[in-house]
Amino acid sequence: MDYQSMLGLSAPIAVGLAAIGSGLGIGRAVGSAMEAMGRQPEAAGKIQTAMIIGAAFIEALTIYVFIVFIMANGHFGG
Amino acid sequence: MGLGFLDRTLRTTGVVLLIFLPFGLYYLGVYPTLAAFSGGVWGLLNLIFISALVRSTIRPEAVNKFQVIGIAVFKFPLLYGSGYFLTQVKQFDPLYLLAGFSLLLVVIVLRAIGAAMMQAGDKPQASDKVRSIA
Repeated sequence: MDYQSMLGLSAPIAVGLAAIGSGLGIGRAVGSAMEAMGRQPEAAGKIQTAMIIGAAFIEALTIYVFIVFIMANGHFGG
Repeated sequence: MGLGFLDRTLRTTGVVLLIFLPFGLYYLGVYPTLAAFSGGVWGLLNLIFISALVRSTIRPEAVNKFQVIGIAVFKFPLLYGSGYFLTQVKQFDPLYLLAGFSLLLVVIVLRAIGAAMMQAGDKPQASDKVRSIA
């Protein structure tokens, strides 16, 4: 397997791994936020804020990987 | 750090983007500036929709299903579609897009550091106690 084929094969796997990681991260964050809100409903505003910021950062990582994939896309296939 | 933090962060990022626009046009050129500006607006819209989605779904009160479906249907295809479109524009360098998109995150981090430092400054220090006793 040559370099270009390895690159073409590994880049989609990397994007998929990033998506899986982000999905797991957001899932854990939402689960913990719901649990915390169930314990302390009066702190819902603060929990929502932390949740939104966390979700924005997690989603940003996936978008970074997506853009890096698009940048690398032109170099596949020799 | 309540929900007002997010609104202020969005406003600050919008103002920074507007301030960046003339300077970018002068120093970087039209397309890099437009790419960074578009990336910034993309990030802003992304946070606005995430915020609306989280506020309408993750809360102690009952959830309005139609509102959630409306936001989800609007957010995911439109924002990711627009992101894909932005990355496909040949004149837009993806690095400038990323820089614009990251501006919002930089503003969040800097505001959080500022808020933490202000809170740390409000707390009484051990040296203050010694001074007050003396």
